[in-house]
Amino acid sequence: MSRIGSWLVLSFRLHRWEVLASVLGTALLAAAMVWFTWQLRTLAAAEPACLDPTTYVVACEQSPQRFYELASFAEGLSSVAWVAPFGMGLVLGVPLVSREIEQRTAGMAWALSRSRTSWLVRRVAFAALVLVSLLFVLAITSEMQAAAQMPTRHLDQDFAWYGRRGGLLVVRGLAALGVGVLAGALVGRVLPALLLAAFASVLIFTVISLGMDRWIEADAVVMATGDPEGGRYLGERVELPSGELVDYGELGRRGLSIEVIDEEDRLFARPEDVGHPERMIGWGRSLIVPGRLYPQIVLRESAVVGGAAVLLALAATFVVTRRRPG
Amino acid sequence: MNAEQPVLETHDLAKRYGRRTWALTGIDLALPQGGITALVGPNAAGKSTLIKTWVGFERPTRGSVSVGGIDPWKDRSGVLGLVGYVPQSPALYDGLSVNDHLDLAVHLRPDFDRPYARQRLDQLGIPGDQGAKSLSGGQQAQVALALALGTRARILLLDEPLASLDPLARREFLHVLTDAVRSDGATALLSSHIVTDVEQACDRLIVLGVGRILLHETVADALATHWMAADGAASSEGTAIGSFGGPGGERLTLLRSESSSAGPNLRQASLEEVVLGYLASGRALPGEAAA
Repeated sequence: MSRIGSWLVLSFRLHRWEVLASVLGTALLAAAMVWFTWQLRTLAAAEPACLDPTTYVVACEQSPQRFYELASFAEGLSSVAWVAPFGMGLVLGVPLVSREIEQRTAGMAWALSRSRTSWLVRRVAFAALVLVSLLFVLAITSEMQAAAQMPTRHLDQDFAWYGRRGGLLVVRGLAALGVGVLAGALVGRVLPALLLAAFASVLIFTVISLGMDRWIEADAVVMATGDPEGGRYLGERVELPSGELVDYGELGRRGLSIEVIDEEDRLFARPEDVGHPERMIGWGRSLIVPGRLYPQIVLRESAVVGGAAVLLALAATFVVTRRRPG
Repeated sequence: MNAEQPVLETHDLAKRYGRRTWALTGIDLALPQGGITALVGPNAAGKSTLIKTWVGFERPTRGSVSVGGIDPWKDRSGVLGLVGYVPQSPALYDGLSVNDHLDLAVHLRPDFDRPYARQRLDQLGIPGDQGAKSLSGGQQAQVALALALGTRARILLLDEPLASLDPLARREFLHVLTDAVRSDGATALLSSHIVTDVEQACDRLIVLGVGRILLHETVADALATHWMAADGAASSEGTAIGSFGGPGGERLTLLRSESSSAGPNLRQASLEEVVLGYLASGRALPGEAAA
């Protein structure tokens, strides 16, 4: 057996339960997605006209209903696909160092390996290889399922199911792996490290998500409220008669409270609010990032999350090279 | 490595855990190349801490440590190239077989001498395909020793590998160790609190108590210069080291005397009595106020 083959076999034996659990979870999820994709495609192919929202065909009354029932289940699966990178990243990442410390094998391994960094790199490389391979499968099957569920949309320029499909799954998984390895190295016990890593993941990805929203706000356009197909909704704003765009918090700071919004999205203040004898404050607007920017935004977020993964890996290396083996 | 240069050294080594707990204080040691040195002391004497500072697993709070002239904390990789280490209660990977452990060692350390380690295990009849989980405590210790020997390191640091072994397994372990050290000309430091085992295998003795070196000399010198006095016996023939209770409840006192013949009330001390006498003297010492 080649040197790499031998290392893969040994690494698998060291992490067989995490790997098997991840493979099994991925296989079930991917199989379910493929099945839904096939079902949705079959229905769509049988009556293509039924899925065109601009036309009404009497014969389509049953078929779309079945289609949208299936699509609803499929959407549930896409939510699982959204969680999967975090779960798999933590399950594979946390035990890498913490179990060695907990089971007292780190002393032997770190004395045999002249460099703890190279020891850690080998360990993380195996976990990353497994994770990337599995998430790649999910990335593809979730894309296929999304395309089957939304056959009339161009998903390469569409924010629908953002973060639940495509390459972002892989990058997010790698960052979660980094969180898991770092937490494991810090805590040195599997279960407490898993809890810490889960909490840290929520925190880190919330910060990244909020930061990304602020970053892409510059690329957003102002649209009338409603459902902007393919765009990414960032929030509600109010366009004042002067053309100024403010959020609702700013309205409050200016002493204005909205009493009513009419069908034309006009906002009216309460009679006692000062300075608005007409009572109309402005127009309700949505801040939307156009769907055509989808590839660019995915690339940006991948770079940010990938950068976070690298930083987390460096931090884990720092901890491993300095900590006691237990 | 210069043959004259001590292979393991410490100067004024102190190690503190937390704010108050001193594991080691003012340790000055210089171990020459070759032979097996026993590091003996009760639990929490600081034996593991001392060994771990040499492996680079613990950073000294004060003082310096060197292995073959290298500071383990500054150049851990350099030190690990010289050292084979058997950790306390050797823990192997449950999911791996014996041969897997040897393969793993080759991956972690490309110059690992797998055939040599395998040969050592074959001599003991430990099958390569047996899972580590199903090995006895003695076999696990032998695998850990084989992993350390397979590094072909010039210095072996063994942190209480005998603690959980039955007498026969201890005897086998020490046989393999002494054979390997004598044939390879290596230097080994073996920590233990089982003095009878140490007597068979070791050339030098270090007694560590309350974080301090209480005795450091060759086993032969330790036996030649220590005498036991029973209750009330005059101690003018040597320096009293420490007193402890004998098996019959009598009070025994360890004396040190360079004289080659014992007085009428004295008898030669066994190695265990030497160790007990120094440990008793260590108990009488004040705690770590000076550190």
